[in-house]
Amino acid sequence: MTYRNRLKMYFKKPHNIILTSLFIVLIYLTIIPMITIIIDTFTVHQSELMRIKGSKVGDFTLYHWSKVFFSSISEKMFYQPLLNTIIVAFGTCFVAILIGGVVAWLITRTDMRFKTVVSTLFIFPYIMPSWTIAMAWLNFFKNPLVGGAPGLFTVLTGIETPNWFAYGQFPIIMVLGLHYAPFAYILIGGILRNMDANLEEAAQLMKASRARIMRKITIPIVLPALLSTFLLVFSSAMSAFAVPAFLGTPVRYQVLTTQMYRTLNGLNPGYGYIMALVMIVIGVLILTMNQKVIGSRRSFTTITGKSSNIALIKLRRFNWLISLIVLISTLLVCIVPLISFAVESFIVEPGNYSLSNFSSIFWIGEGSPEIANGEPGILRNPSILLGLINSVKLSVVVSLVAGTLGILTGYAISKARGTKLALIVNNLAFFPYLMPSMAFGAIYLSMFAVRRGFIPPLYGSFALLVIVGSIKYLPFASRASIGAMHQLSGEIEEAGTIQGISWFKRMVKIIIPIQKASFISGYLLPFISCMRELSLFILLVTPATRILTTLLFQYNEKGWSQYANAINLLIVFFVVGSNLLVNKVTGASIDKGIGGN
Amino acid sequence: MPEIRLENITKRFGKAIAVDNLSLTIKDGEFVSLLGPSGCGKTTTLRMIAGLETPTEGEIYIDDRCVFSSQQAIDVSPDKRDVGFLFQNYALWPHMTVYKNISFGLENMKWDKKAIDERVHELVKMLKIEEFLERYPSELSGGQQQRVAIARTLSTGPKVLFMDEPLSNLDAKLRMEMRTELKRLHVETGATFVYVTHDQLEAMTLSTKICLLKEGLLQQYQPPLEVYRNPSNYFVADFVGAPNINVIEVEGSPVNIDEVKLTNDEIKFIFMPSSKVVSISEKQKLLLGIRPEDIQIGEEGDFEAEVYSTLPSGMETIVKIKIGNSILTSVVFGDVDFEIESKIKISFPNDRYILFDKESEIQLASGKLS
Repeated sequence: MTYRNRLKMYFKKPHNIILTSLFIVLIYLTIIPMITIIIDTFTVHQSELMRIKGSKVGDFTLYHWSKVFFSSISEKMFYQPLLNTIIVAFGTCFVAILIGGVVAWLITRTDMRFKTVVSTLFIFPYIMPSWTIAMAWLNFFKNPLVGGAPGLFTVLTGIETPNWFAYGQFPIIMVLGLHYAPFAYILIGGILRNMDANLEEAAQLMKASRARIMRKITIPIVLPALLSTFLLVFSSAMSAFAVPAFLGTPVRYQVLTTQMYRTLNGLNPGYGYIMALVMIVIGVLILTMNQKVIGSRRSFTTITGKSSNIALIKLRRFNWLISLIVLISTLLVCIVPLISFAVESFIVEPGNYSLSNFSSIFWIGEGSPEIANGEPGILRNPSILLGLINSVKLSVVVSLVAGTLGILTGYAISKARGTKLALIVNNLAFFPYLMPSMAFGAIYLSMFAVRRGFIPPLYGSFALLVIVGSIKYLPFASRASIGAMHQLSGEIEEAGTIQGISWFKRMVKIIIPIQKASFISGYLLPFISCMRELSLFILLVTPATRILTTLLFQYNEKGWSQYANAINLLIVFFVVGSNLLVNKVTGASIDKGIGGN
Repeated sequence: MPEIRLENITKRFGKAIAVDNLSLTIKDGEFVSLLGPSGCGKTTTLRMIAGLETPTEGEIYIDDRCVFSSQQAIDVSPDKRDVGFLFQNYALWPHMTVYKNISFGLENMKWDKKAIDERVHELVKMLKIEEFLERYPSELSGGQQQRVAIARTLSTGPKVLFMDEPLSNLDAKLRMEMRTELKRLHVETGATFVYVTHDQLEAMTLSTKICLLKEGLLQQYQPPLEVYRNPSNYFVADFVGAPNINVIEVEGSPVNIDEVKLTNDEIKFIFMPSSKVVSISEKQKLLLGIRPEDIQIGEEGDFEAEVYSTLPSGMETIVKIKIGNSILTSVVFGDVDFEIESKIKISFPNDRYILFDKESEIQLASGKLS
C-alpha cells in the first residue's frame, strides 16, 4: 500500500482524526510550554542586567540555577521551603489517610449509624475550596501575637492560642489533611466496597479471626490503593498554595508554592520557573510510581461486584459512641466553618463578638471612608459582581471545553487502544495533572506573554484563563471518560456503524446517553475545580479578568477579613449548590469522577 | 446476487499476523462457518469482510463490487456494504427499548413512521418477541436479548448476515433451540450467512460449508461432512468431531503397490488405501486416525482389549478401551454399558481410516485396515 493511501485510510476513522488533532494541540499546550520555561531559566532578563555583569537580555546564563541551588540565599530561598513542602505533604498524607481510611472502613464494613448523613457530608471539605477550613481555622484560633484581632476561641475561653497552633506547619498539615481526607475516603472506600467479599469469607470459613482477616487479607488487598492514595494526596498537598498562604504567611512559613508566588511576582521570575520545574519533576516521579502501583494493583484486586455483602462488623456497645463522634466531627468540619464565615462577615470590628458590633455593612453597605477604604458591601460592589460573573463564566466555559475534550479524548484513546499514538495522547492528556497549578500558571504566563506565531499575546485576556483551565482540568474529564468508554464494549458503537448511523449521531444518540453519568461527572469536576481554583489563575488574572477566588485572596492580604469571609461563603454556596443540583438532576457526582462508586 | 470474495487478505497487528494470505469465495445463499481455536483469525476475518477492521493487504469483493483494496485504497465503510452483523454480546443499546433498538437504524434511513412500524412488527412476530416491545434490554433474558439483536440486524434487510459467536453466551438448552431457529432463519431470509464459532458441533450442524482456520491460515474449506470424513490434515481431523478422533503413532513400510504395513510396539495393521495411491518410504513415521464410531466392539473381533472406562448417556455410550498401553475411544449406540476392566474384542470393519504423515501432518489417504 502506498504511503498516501495508508494515510487516507487512516484518517477515514473519526478517532484517528481526533487523536491526531489532540496530539498536536496537547504537544503545543503542554510540552512546548515546558520547553520554553526551561529555556527561560537559562536566559538573562531585563531586570537582571545589573546583577549579571556584561550581559545582554536574552543571553545564555547559568545564573538562576546556581543562585537557586548553590548560593548563600539558596538555604532560605529554596532548601528550607522544599523541606517544609515535604514535611507538609507527608503530614497531610498521614492525617488524610488516617481519617479517610477509618471513616471508609466504618462506613463500608461496620454497622455504624448515620451512614448516609456522614457519607454525604464527609466529602464536603473536598468540594469546598481548600482554604475554607484554613479561614475557619483562622476565624477560630488566630491570636493577637501576630497582630490583628483574636479568634473566636480566644474570645470564648480567654485562652490565647500559641503561635505554633494558630499559624504555620501544624495548622497547614491539619487543614490540608482534613481537605484531602474525603479524597482518601473515596478511593479507599471504593476499593473496600468493590472488593470481592468471597476473599474475606473464604478466610472466615477457614476459621480465621476478624483481626487476622483484617491483617492478612483486607489490608494487603487495600494496600496498593492506600499507596496510590498516598501518592495522589502527596502530590496534591505539595502543590497546594492557598492554605500555606493563609496559614503560613503570618509567621513567614514558606513552602515551594508560596515562595514561587513571591519570586514570580517579584523581580526574579527565573527562580520561580526553576522551582516550578523542581515541582514538576517531583510530580512526574510520584505519578510514575503511582502508575507502577496501580499496574500491579489490577492484577489482584479482582472486582466482581457479584458476591454478596460481607457481614458487617458489629460495633456493639461502642456503636453509639463511635457513631456520635464521627457525626459530630463531620459536622464540625463541614458545617461550623460556614457558620463562622457568616458570623465573621457581619462583624464590624474584628474580634468583638458583642451583638452591637454586628452589621450588614459588608454585605449591603454603601461603603464609608472609615471602613476598608470605602469599599461597598459585596452584594452592591461592582468589582465583586464582576468577579462573580467572571468566575461563573470561566467555570462554565472551562467545564464545557475540558468536558467535551475529555469525552473525545476518552473515545479516541479507547478506540485506538494499543496503538502508540493512543498511548502518547493518553499520557499527554494526563500530564497537566502532574504540574502543580501554580507552576502551570507560571508556564503559561511565560509562554503567552508575547506573541507566538499567529497567537497574539494573551496575557490579561479571558481566553488565556480558559486555555489554562481547560488543559489543567482535562485529566479529570479524560479519566472519567476513559473509564466510561472502557466499560462500553466496542460492539455497541459498531452495531450503529453497520446500520449506517453517522459518527456524530452515534456519539450523541448512543455512546453519550449510555454513559451519561460518567460524562457529566467529566463536566462537573472541571466546573467545581475551576470555581474554587486560586493558584492556577492567581498569576494570570488582571483587574479586568479578576475572579472571586483571586479577589478573596486580595481582600485577605489586605486584612479585610469580613469581605474575604463573605466572598468565601459565596463561593462555597455556588460550588456545593451546583454539585448538589447536578447530582440530583443527573446522578453524576464528584466522587464518581475521582474513581469511587 | 451477493457473492463474497476475499483475495489474498492479510491482517497484521504490529508484528503478529492474524490472517495470512486468505483467499475465499462465499457463494450466494450459503451458510459458511469460520471455525477454529481462539486466536486463529476467524473473528478478524469476519470483521474485515464487514468493514469493521481494515485488512493490511488484499482485496474484498461483495456482489462483484470491490469494497476493499489495499492497492487502490478502496475502503467502503461498513454501512455501505449492505451487510448485517450480529455481535457476540448482542450490543443492544441499553438506553433504548426493544422497539427503539429495532427501529433506530430505519429511522436513520429516513423511512416513514408507518413503514417502520410495520417492519418492526413483522420482525418481532417472526422472532416471537411481540410482548417485549416496550421493555429495555436489561429487562430481558439472554435468549430474548439474542432475538432482539437478530431482529435489529435483520431490520434493514441485509443480503449478507455476519454472526460472531452469537450463541456463546446462552446456556446449553437455549443454544440448541437458537441453532434450530438460525437454520430456519437462513432459509426464510434467503440471505448469505457467515458465522464465526469455535464450537465444531455448531459449525457441523449449521453450515453448508466450513472454513477451518489455524493461526491465520486456511486449513480446509468444504462442506461439514466432507471436512469430517476427509480432513486435509491431522489438525482438522482432531478439531472436528466429538469425541475426538483416535490417533495411533505407527511406522509404515510399503508391502505391495497398494498396501502399507503399519506397526508399532503393540499393533500390526495392513492398510489398503481406497481414496488414492500412496507412496511411502521405508520406516516412515505415520499417524493413523480412527473415528470412535469406526471401532466395533463385540464378542467376536480381531483384537483383544479391555474396558478402561465407560460414559453412557442413554442414546450412546462412549467406551474407553485399553489396547496394549494405549487408550482408544469408541462409541456404541443405544443404552448399553460395559463393566470396567472386562475383556472385549474389537475390530475395524469400515473403509475410512485415515493415514497422516507424522511430520507434515498432511493426510495421505483413507482406507481399510486388516
